[in-house]
Amino acid sequence: MDNSNNTDYDDQDISLASKHTESDTEHLSNEQDVNKWQRISPIAMAYFTIRFIYAIFSNIIYMAPAIVLGYKQILDNPHIWLPIALVAITLIAFGTFLSFYFFQYRLTDGHIEIRSGVFAKKYVNLPFTRIQNVKLEQPIYYRPFDYTCLQLDTAGSAKQEAKIVALKVNFAEQLKKEILASHKAIEIDELAGEIDSKTNDNTEQNSEELNTENEVVLNRRSLKDLIIHGLTNNRIWIFIGGLAPFFEQIGRGIVDFFNALGIDIEKLLTIADKPWWQIGLYALTLTFLVMLVISLISVAGSIISFYNYTLSKSSDRYIRRSGLLTKHEVTMRLSRLQMVVRQQDWLDLLLKRINLKFEQSNANLQNYQAGAHNNKIIVPSIKPAQCQTLIDDVYPSNKMMSITYQGISKHFLVRNIAYILLPIVLALTTLVILMDKAVALYVIIPVFSLLTVMVFFRWLRWGLATDENYLYIRKGMFGVDYHCFPRYKVQQTAFKQSWFLRKRQLASVQFVLAAGGQNIPFIPQQLAYQLIDHALFEVESSQKPWM
Amino acid sequence: MTILPLTQTSLDFSNEAITTKSLPSLLELKQQAISPSYAVANFYVNLVITLILLLVTLSVSFQPFYDLDNTAKNVFLYIACAIAIIGFIKTVYDAKADIRKFYALREQDISYTSGLIFKNTVSQPILRVQHVELKRGPIDRKIGLAKLQVFSAGGALHTFEIPGLLLEEAESIRQFILSHKDINHHG
Repeated sequence: MDNSNNTDYDDQDISLASKHTESDTEHLSNEQDVNKWQRISPIAMAYFTIRFIYAIFSNIIYMAPAIVLGYKQILDNPHIWLPIALVAITLIAFGTFLSFYFFQYRLTDGHIEIRSGVFAKKYVNLPFTRIQNVKLEQPIYYRPFDYTCLQLDTAGSAKQEAKIVALKVNFAEQLKKEILASHKAIEIDELAGEIDSKTNDNTEQNSEELNTENEVVLNRRSLKDLIIHGLTNNRIWIFIGGLAPFFEQIGRGIVDFFNALGIDIEKLLTIADKPWWQIGLYALTLTFLVMLVISLISVAGSIISFYNYTLSKSSDRYIRRSGLLTKHEVTMRLSRLQMVVRQQDWLDLLLKRINLKFEQSNANLQNYQAGAHNNKIIVPSIKPAQCQTLIDDVYPSNKMMSITYQGISKHFLVRNIAYILLPIVLALTTLVILMDKAVALYVIIPVFSLLTVMVFFRWLRWGLATDENYLYIRKGMFGVDYHCFPRYKVQQTAFKQSWFLRKRQLASVQFVLAAGGQNIPFIPQQLAYQLIDHALFEVESSQKPWM
Repeated sequence: MTILPLTQTSLDFSNEAITTKSLPSLLELKQQAISPSYAVANFYVNLVITLILLLVTLSVSFQPFYDLDNTAKNVFLYIACAIAIIGFIKTVYDAKADIRKFYALREQDISYTSGLIFKNTVSQPILRVQHVELKRGPIDRKIGLAKLQVFSAGGALHTFEIPGLLLEEAESIRQFILSHKDINHHG
């Protein structure tokens, strides 16, 4: 973003914004009188109910002792569940209604204000100009009624975030457009102000023009792609996140299920009196079963998050839309892009598919862990040619795939294998032999070999390249990831060198971006200094804003 | 707000031909040591904490009020040994490492070098600074020191932090960062 944050200027920014948005809100108010405090649609109660129930289940662990204690009493008085359930339902209904009742918002002069909270009152006042990101989130139960949630992010603290829980889709779209347009309007105004104030009318027309829908769809993902994505990438954590409150029940359910089939898992798993091949077979079968289930779940997860995936572009904005149950819409302006990541796991390598990620700032990621993956724009399992087109679209002059990468020093192998792995293995072996349990070597040696191979591949993959604008990092193990970022996006650099590295004139470098840190270990000391000096020079001399 | 024609700036600077040889280098940083009293204070703090922990564990195992069985007593003795060893190593290591902490201020960035075995130089362009904080614990206040924290958009993990600065020194660095012309334009 180019608008200044100079404090003197800020007020002016907002007043400029209000000039535009007054008229905007005027025509918004044709539909609804938005200048007064108002409640959202009662449909929001569905949202609050679900949030309420979810909160209860996520906190069930704290209630566990009470439940365990009360369990016997409940068994003794089976009818007690009825009043309990009634009380619970009343509480939830009452809580939901209050949450709904106290949730109010209004739009004034290019500001959005939200009041919420039953006991802990919360008041947020966001000027449109401060809003960095607008996300639309449409849970499945909103869809028949054409409602959506509008999530507003600021670059600053998480406290300044706001979510309007239920808005008509077209109203939300319109609001979104206006919020995003208020940025544009300012930039154009400023430009115009510098040239000639008379042209203001023209530029306003221009901004109107820019806002009109000229979206181009860059990429779609079919169901087939999503199945491939599910198989190659474990999206199981999407489920695990959502199912966390129910783990115990699930575990018990599985055991009961097998019991019903006449298979006693516990007995099967008692391995004391079975020959080793039988145990091995069990282990293998079990692994396959688990893998199968995980893959299926993973495919389901992939479809749930990426169903009907589209990536579109409208002037300098990239928009990702997807979701089976809850539809997500994430918008990113090109200037917010910090780094492009091209990811391929070993399975992706075999199938020639790529996950492409456009990483934004994740400075306030901690605040919403579960939704974190929604903040970046990921294009799941695309083909190499499509991937290259997209990368070229965001970074036109990049040479990610054509440039030659310089590997890291062989001392990476020496350090990890000879100085770290080997001593551990030798110590373990001696211990095992001394304790007369040499059988354990059957485990130790394969594990050691596997780790060695992993270290070797890690070394093989790690490389870097630079050109006049970008820094490229290649890394991975069995798969391979390419990272590419413009030098001027760097936030901080670090030069790291241990004793041993200094003796060999090697060093490690870290570049911190708003999207996280990137390490390049074991490169020649001189190169390390050059990389850092060059990055710092570029940041400090170009003065380009990082977002 | 200056909307510079970006293309022009990038033409000026993204030119590989000005090989990195001619760029200002980290190697030529003018390192300044942090206050020596920081190392001294840290030494005593480490020592006192170790002694207090030792005293607590030992007094638990040797107190006359409650009769512990032998295994419990032994466990406490092991814990005491561990505390003594770790405390000793930490005290010695910190004493050695604290006198090797340096910072360097240039026109456009600030760097901090630390580490005994793993030497680490972090550089923060002032242009990318989000905000600056001075932190002073009770001991810092007693001996007139301050810790400078510099926040960038890199996130909490990468907060840049220089301990053991004299208060005036820390305040002048803070002032320098705040008055740096770029931070006002692109904060």
